Amino acid sequence: MDLAFSGWSGVLILLAYGLLMLGIGLVTYLKNRNIHESLDEYYLGGRGLGVMVLFFTFFATQYSGNTVVGYPATAYRQGFEYLVSVPYFIMIIMAYLLFAPRLYAMGKKYKLITPAQWFEKRYKSKAVTILASLLMLYGLGNYLLEQLVAIGQGVSGLTGGTIPYQVGVIFFVVIMLIYGWLGGMRSVAYTDTMQGIALLVGIFMLLIGSIIYFGGLPTSADYMQAYSPEKLGIPDGPGIVNWFSLLVLIGIGAAVYPHAIQRIFAAKNERTLKRSFSRMAWMPFVTAGVVFIIGIIGINAFPGLSTGESEQLVGMMASSIASQNTVFYWAMILLFGGVIAAIVSTADSVLLTFSSIISNDLYGNYINPEASEHKKLLVGKLLGVVAVGILIIIAWFPPATLYQIFILKFELLIQIAPGLILGLYWKRLRSKTVFAGMVAGTLVASVMTIFDLSLLGVASGLWGLLLNTVICIVGSLVATVSAVEENEMKEVIGI
Amino acid sequence: MNQSKKEPIKNGKIWIVFGILLALITPWYFPKSFGEILIYGIPLWAVIIIVASILLSAFLSYVIRYHWTIEEENEEEEAKGAN
Repeated sequence: MDLAFSGWSGVLILLAYGLLMLGIGLVTYLKNRNIHESLDEYYLGGRGLGVMVLFFTFFATQYSGNTVVGYPATAYRQGFEYLVSVPYFIMIIMAYLLFAPRLYAMGKKYKLITPAQWFEKRYKSKAVTILASLLMLYGLGNYLLEQLVAIGQGVSGLTGGTIPYQVGVIFFVVIMLIYGWLGGMRSVAYTDTMQGIALLVGIFMLLIGSIIYFGGLPTSADYMQAYSPEKLGIPDGPGIVNWFSLLVLIGIGAAVYPHAIQRIFAAKNERTLKRSFSRMAWMPFVTAGVVFIIGIIGINAFPGLSTGESEQLVGMMASSIASQNTVFYWAMILLFGGVIAAIVSTADSVLLTFSSIISNDLYGNYINPEASEHKKLLVGKLLGVVAVGILIIIAWFPPATLYQIFILKFELLIQIAPGLILGLYWKRLRSKTVFAGMVAGTLVASVMTIFDLSLLGVASGLWGLLLNTVICIVGSLVATVSAVEENEMKEVIGI
Repeated sequence: MNQSKKEPIKNGKIWIVFGILLALITPWYFPKSFGEILIYGIPLWAVIIIVASILLSAFLSYVIRYHWTIEEENEEEEAKGAN
């Protein structure tokens, strides 16, 4: 492997990039000193995010480090079958249309800060709110872990090992903690904007470099035709089922990601939210689409890599391109920033939401409701830091490939969808059935995942979701609801 | 309830179109030969998936713009009132 980034230039880039993020955090802090007394100000940026910032924070949150580091590797291994990554990102926006319009209205009506708070308003049940909160915290924790692993792999891959995995993780985590602590959602959203732009510029330069130096898609297609025609072929029966279940699982799963939902509440107004979503509907082509093409070009550029080796594909390609000439050297440095950017910006959003659920729902609602907002905030922030510490220890020993842990978090997180979405519209839906559905769905999804059971090739999270939804619907149809209760619910969910 | 309020989920026609588009972005309907014909290095079936994906994005933009207004009018009035 050609180590174009090794030595001090790699380290210098990391430092410059980290300082830039810190700078944004510091400026935000100095401009908004009062935010540490209000959950609304700290976690939602005072509900005042405009179109550009809201769009970029959605963007940077949705497209994680995994999109840049892991997706080309998967495209490398699977070929055109992984084209599914483009429509599944579009599906996320379609899934938003199922609930975001009403949820935004509810967020406004009840001044909601976290998705768990909606469960509390809607079901008025401690059991449901706590279970939903724990599922979200678990999903977020796993997601954060994935980002930490990706930071380490990204840094060590792109510096050719000059900066060890562990140092990369610690460096960026400390920076993220500082700017997150200082400015809350505002810091996170502003750095997201900067990070999103760096990411976009970086992957486009990688695409251009790949086409120039390794040959474009036609060259890669010739190679595949000769050596691995299955990578060009139409997915077979199980491949189609897998494709479809990815569309549904990721569409609904990513849309109900707690940190994504929280951004709905942070929108300045409905028009802002709509415009951001509208732009998001087109982003899959220039993000997932571009990294997909890079992975396909990699098939020809670095043939015969093992699964483990292929995880480093982006690093290898960037290094080769950077060694060609000065322009591409600097372009790859931009990419380097972009990759780290994407990871850090996803991690900071996840961490902020993680803290907010602790501050607002678990601690603020059940453990110490009398506490001042300042204290609730402090508890959430501190427990967030503790959680990151624990996750770093786990990240020290990363799993072999990123893909498995990626699926694992979706399968559990998706179980909050029926209670969240059906509850917005259906007044008969009761807390007990929602609770039973969530428990059953979570158990089925976990057991199937842990014991590696599969049924008809459909992802285990979807089986859990199906059972969960059926329990919610049948349970609510069978149970008797008094007219008083029904009217009360009508009041709660009315717009 | 205000007549001008529009919520995408309550419009059945929209979801029929989404259903059709979802069917089009899943590669179940291609004859085997579509994997062998290449257009600029992209198999024909993949080209059709990409076109269908573009249609999906376009339709999403349309629905978001014209079939979702719940708070917008109120918020505009609030904004006017604040000025």
